[in-house]
Amino acid sequence: MAEEFNTDGMLDMYLFENEQLLEQLQERVLDQKDADCFDEESINEIFRTMHTIKGSSGIMMFDNITAVSHKLEDIFYYLRESQPDNVPHLELVEHVLEVEDFISGELEKIRNGSPADGDSSGIIAGLDKFLEMIKNGGAQGGEEPPENVHVEPKQFYIAPVATSASRFYKIYINFYPETEMANVHAYKTVYALKEMAEDLLYSPEDIIADETSAQKILEDGFRILLQAQCTEEEIRNAIGIGYDIEKVDVYECKAEEFLQGFDFGEHDDEPKEVIDLESSVEEIESKAEAKEVEKAKEAPKEPAKPKMAPGDFVIKSKEPGKAKKLAKDRNKGEKASFISVNVKKMDQLMDLIGELVISESVVLQNPDLKVPGLNLDRFNKAAAQLAKISTDLQDVIMSMRMVSLSNTFQKMNRIVFDVSRKLGKEIEFEMVGEQTEVDKNIIEKISDPLMHIVRNSVDHGIEDKQTRMESGKSEKGKVILSAKTEAGKVWISVTDDGSGLDRAKILAKARKQGLLDPNKPDEAYSDKEVYQLITLPGFSTNEEVTEYSGRGVGMDVVVQNIQAIGGTLDIESTPGFGSTMSLKIPLTLAIIDGIVMETGKSSFVLETGVIKEFVRVREEMMIYEPNGDEYIMIRGECYPVLRLGRWYGLEEYQESVEDGVMLILEVEDQHVCLLVDRLIGEQEIVVKPIPSYIKKVKGLSGCTQLGDGSIALILDATGLME
Amino acid sequence: MDEANELKRMSMQYDSDDTNEKGKYMTFKSGNEYFGLAIQYVNEIIQMQEITAIPETEDYIKGLINLRGKVVPVIDVRLRFKQEPLAYNDRTCIIVINVKTATVGLIVEKIAEVVEIKEDNILPPPKIGHADKAQNKYVYGIGKVGNAVKLLLDPDKLLNDEDLSVVEQANDMSVDEEGEV
Repeated sequence: MAEEFNTDGMLDMYLFENEQLLEQLQERVLDQKDADCFDEESINEIFRTMHTIKGSSGIMMFDNITAVSHKLEDIFYYLRESQPDNVPHLELVEHVLEVEDFISGELEKIRNGSPADGDSSGIIAGLDKFLEMIKNGGAQGGEEPPENVHVEPKQFYIAPVATSASRFYKIYINFYPETEMANVHAYKTVYALKEMAEDLLYSPEDIIADETSAQKILEDGFRILLQAQCTEEEIRNAIGIGYDIEKVDVYECKAEEFLQGFDFGEHDDEPKEVIDLESSVEEIESKAEAKEVEKAKEAPKEPAKPKMAPGDFVIKSKEPGKAKKLAKDRNKGEKASFISVNVKKMDQLMDLIGELVISESVVLQNPDLKVPGLNLDRFNKAAAQLAKISTDLQDVIMSMRMVSLSNTFQKMNRIVFDVSRKLGKEIEFEMVGEQTEVDKNIIEKISDPLMHIVRNSVDHGIEDKQTRMESGKSEKGKVILSAKTEAGKVWISVTDDGSGLDRAKILAKARKQGLLDPNKPDEAYSDKEVYQLITLPGFSTNEEVTEYSGRGVGMDVVVQNIQAIGGTLDIESTPGFGSTMSLKIPLTLAIIDGIVMETGKSSFVLETGVIKEFVRVREEMMIYEPNGDEYIMIRGECYPVLRLGRWYGLEEYQESVEDGVMLILEVEDQHVCLLVDRLIGEQEIVVKPIPSYIKKVKGLSGCTQLGDGSIALILDATGLME
Repeated sequence: MDEANELKRMSMQYDSDDTNEKGKYMTFKSGNEYFGLAIQYVNEIIQMQEITAIPETEDYIKGLINLRGKVVPVIDVRLRFKQEPLAYNDRTCIIVINVKTATVGLIVEKIAEVVEIKEDNILPPPKIGHADKAQNKYVYGIGKVGNAVKLLLDPDKLLNDEDLSVVEQANDMSVDEEGEV
């Protein structure tokens, strides 16, 4: 074609749509991986997905993607139409995932602006073989199917039976020399002729995947051998007139000439079968099969796929009586419709809603209103209405940026699947609370840490089958990934029922690496402290480095990443029973209810949820330790005291406990008492992060603007307790 | 006050997309020296306003200001250069700069003018004498404007480098030069 399309907008759409399709595909496949086989709905969905990907990739000229998806589509087409038994399910699952990985990889390249140059031939070969295998009656356990990789489409081996009405044509098509992508045009004509053809050969043959074929077509012309019952006119009509086609020559020829094929050397090495017009179909078929078996004996090639090492995973793992409810009750009617929105616009919206909240408080708390004697009843009513609407607006807008964790969790699902297979462990993966929504930013940042933690569980945590059985555990290990939101934080945890962390081993390794205080004996370390040791850089109790772990680089990076978004990592473990890694991440872009207080000349805010009580205290309730620590007795309970002014080195704060206010803070089970000068009030505040230029300060988790425009620092109770 | 406003207007004239920007520097005085900052980094110049202190930060990080809804950290340039801090008066201004993604305000004693300095009038900074410290090129050049010199600052280094005492030495050396001129 002479015009160059500007495909940029199309490209974005293409990438977006296909990435979505692939994600859905992966979800569907992983859903069904434990089943005996794909159910009808899945087969249809996978077929449609591959068909769509093939089509759009074809338009975008990504030939390798098109070729691969075409192959997979063929397989599912066959599954759909012929419904064979004995399809080796896990192998099929692997093929699908392999294709999906390949396409994802190519899409990634395209997204980054590099050419999509992945070599699909290996995958295609594997798919071909798989298709052959299932067409020939299914798998033979874990052995390799004794067939070659076929290069030519099967129709050349089983003769199409010609009738006397069939006519044979040689068609030469010449395209204009400036025609772009002549191979696509050639394909167009082939497609058009397929309808009426009894048999159709063309040269060059590989016009879909081979880009050099375009060149050959332009130089040598495109040749077609057609066996059909149509007239020359019908052929010409089918080919049509195009601005691309310069000349079409149609010659009728005799059957023998047809059989001779093309005059010049586009032949493959395999000699073409002579099309037998006399024998019956059965004879021809049996001859063809005999030929195939012969071929197999002649040159047994190495199968494209490597042999599965632990053979447990092929079919034999079908458990009888497995009534697993698959497809998680996917109700057809519930598909939500989506719009894709530019993230920048979302950010703008978020900023604006933050501004709105601040402006609202400026209005509602305006000093002008504090004129005594004003009757503000109607004003207050209206203000309450305004506040209500504004709160609703906030909620909706906040929820727009929230994305559910299910995608991330699905990725983990995939990882467990991959790693468990490669290591030969059988692992059940359970997800709890994956509909929990978190801000988009957070999702991006926790994906890597989570992956690492999950990998650790599978690699280190869960023991191999033998060990598990010996210790009386079930054969299948279990990894549970759960998420929930509580108290303004999102809690994500990975629990495994493996061997747990070995305290002694960790201490020994740490001592060897000189990470421990030489004077402190092993027993003095609490379990929690010992477990946190594994997050130190370079630490690993693996004796050897495997592909997945053991280098000791992982956990410290994980902790760093988590801390970068303000979260923490907790590690709990019971030797012999398993471990739990918990991430606690604050929902930073929050609008929270807070209590504003002042100490010295600075204003601070604390989240209302963490404050248990305010008390005015008397001096006699205080207990002073000789080392400077202070405690207070309130109703029989003893709490440590933190003087905010002193701790932060503020100016002009109240020294005496009786002049200030004591707040009792509670987070999980820990308490601390905070002494501040005075309380200002309760207010809804917009949490803004402290600009990244400023390094993290203990106890501060953000800042906000108060009604009068001044800035208040937001205190983080957990930070204060440390 | 007017000075600040006028300079604000002047800097607004320079559209950040204008390639003629090259060679234009916002100059300000700190201590005995005049410093220059390439104008494409300068967002705006505002009057001194109330700063909310942040505890437990470096001494040159004065705190946060509320810039039309945005929370911006401000640093005191004199403290950053490890000089004696000066009391803030009504000439003190805040230059808001944008470096990569960070927006930071610089508290400066006195704003001077926007000058144009041609490439050939920019000389490399004086060698300090310590091989490793020579790496800290926040003063990446000396710009000659008439009889005076302006020390040209690299805002990236200004914000990110830890040890800035070298600037002192640069000050001393250029004072000598000026003395000779």
